[in-house]
Amino acid sequence: MTFGRNPYLTGILVAGVCAMVPILRPDDLTILGVGFLTFIFVTQAVSWNLVGGFAGQVSFGFAAFFGTGAYVTAILWSHAGWDPILTLPFAGLAAMVVALLVGLPCFRLSGPYFSIATIGVGEAARVIAINLDNITGGASGLVLPFNVPEKAWFYRAGLILATITFLVAAWIRRHRFGLALFSLRMDQSAAESLGVPTALFKNLVHVVAAFFVGVSAGLYVVYLSYAHPDQVFGFDLSIGMVLMNVIGGIGTLWGPVLGALIYFPIRQLVLSDPRLVAVNLLVFGALLILIILFEPGGLLGLLARAGIVARSGLRLAQPAEKRPE
Amino acid sequence: MLDWSNVSTLAVAAILTAGLYATMSFGLALVYGVMKIINLAHAATMMLAAFAVLSLNRAFALDPIIGSIVILPLFFVAGMTLYSVAVRRVAAVPIASLLLLFGTWLVAQNAAYLIWGSEDQSIVTPYTYSTIDVLGLHIAVTRIVPFVMSFLMLGAMRWLLGSTDLGRAIRAVSQDPTAARLSGIWPERTAMIAFGIGTMLSAFAGGMFTLIFSFTPDFGGVFQLKSFAIIVLGGLESFLGVALGALVLATIESFSILIPGWRASLVNLLAFGLLVIALVVLPGGIASLIARRTGRAVQ
Repeated sequence: MTFGRNPYLTGILVAGVCAMVPILRPDDLTILGVGFLTFIFVTQAVSWNLVGGFAGQVSFGFAAFFGTGAYVTAILWSHAGWDPILTLPFAGLAAMVVALLVGLPCFRLSGPYFSIATIGVGEAARVIAINLDNITGGASGLVLPFNVPEKAWFYRAGLILATITFLVAAWIRRHRFGLALFSLRMDQSAAESLGVPTALFKNLVHVVAAFFVGVSAGLYVVYLSYAHPDQVFGFDLSIGMVLMNVIGGIGTLWGPVLGALIYFPIRQLVLSDPRLVAVNLLVFGALLILIILFEPGGLLGLLARAGIVARSGLRLAQPAEKRPE
Repeated sequence: MLDWSNVSTLAVAAILTAGLYATMSFGLALVYGVMKIINLAHAATMMLAAFAVLSLNRAFALDPIIGSIVILPLFFVAGMTLYSVAVRRVAAVPIASLLLLFGTWLVAQNAAYLIWGSEDQSIVTPYTYSTIDVLGLHIAVTRIVPFVMSFLMLGAMRWLLGSTDLGRAIRAVSQDPTAARLSGIWPERTAMIAFGIGTMLSAFAGGMFTLIFSFTPDFGGVFQLKSFAIIVLGGLESFLGVALGALVLATIESFSILIPGWRASLVNLLAFGLLVIALVVLPGGIASLIARRTGRAVQ
């Protein structure tokens, strides 16, 4: 394993260190806020990796799950008067339903064709959300109650969510289920011939990933007290999940965590200046091209090349023996 | 509401749009056929072509129709360059090529934001608002011209693929790269040229779009999805299938305004809906349906 032999232990240790922050710096609202949002992004990246990395089905449509979760929490909280915490499981469940609706037709396509279809998923979800304006507030968004818990609470909640997501990912990776996902990623027909129910497993992992994304979205809107279709269904969310994984190391356990730690602060820094929004994606797009061309393993691939960690994860480079002359 | 002149107007609009859709999608289908990769930079190409035509129009008052033709060699070379510098290196790994082309799209889109800004751009020509009367129907010139040009372009492609050595090489590589190599064809070079032609076709469609639509650096994305729906509907590799897929999408889009309570902003959902339906009930596309009915493959 990458960071020590036992990913569960390492994960819990890292989470434990992170949990010290609100105890040591209870009044530093900047750190707590940034920490919370980072955990949301880590959750998204790790969830995306279950589908895009472990199962090799690169999706550009995860914003659909994020938006669904966000709106379920927003509506149950502001219209039905629920406690925000109680809405979170339902945000996750609603995202799972959407994932199933998306996965059933789209997983009929394999590999890149699935990916293109998911671009449509994200766009369709956003257009539907804008047009359901009596539910979602349409283009003007939905302003939510302001009686939110304090930042340290969000920090802890985000940390717990990110940790659980990571532990589930670590478990899937070690379990037979994960092995089946790796096999269908490498060769779907071969996996099927060995009795792996590829369609079922793809949908299953898709639904699990959607659950965590939905819950993270619920927490996110409670934190912001505001939901807007262009924001919670935005294509840049889906792009972000792809980028975090490619940067950190797609298909690895720690890659998405590292990717989120790099992607999120840069994004936050750049988005504070609206003129730099285009520069942000320009730089990340160029980074994506360079990574794919020169080190498809991302940051962990670089570290592996330097001999610091063991190589793991999805091989995006051409196998040497297949290289055309 | 549903009288004859309405229906015929919508039908004509559908056919005219279909011509342009077919050209736009054929670039994607060609690249798919030869390399078995989906060119996600297709969206970027259409968008950059639209802005190139705009810039030529602003700088030299060049007509967008002529502009769309002038830029073609440039995009042909750009496509071949993109292929040989980047795509070729990862072409064997579908996810890597997909992500690479996606990165290209992101870079192009955001470079366009920096260069041209995010405002809606449009080109107004002396004939933008003029119409021609055909059989009692008023048809906008800006709809007829792209249709005729697309028709010529697709005719040229049909000739290129059907009657030239290059076309035969492209078709051979689509069918079996190894067998093509054994027959003395150089698959990598053929793929590079096919990528150039595919890029050129996308650019042509992008240039033609400037006659009809206003555009921003975001504008390629929707048409990318439409192209994909069309080629999936058409069966991914068939020339006739692409044309039929384009006609089906254009017809549905055109007639959607007859649905009660319809909103124009929902139009872009139709392509996605069609894609899902095609995947669920018609996995081989229209081409396989025809092949099953008539007992022979559609080229």
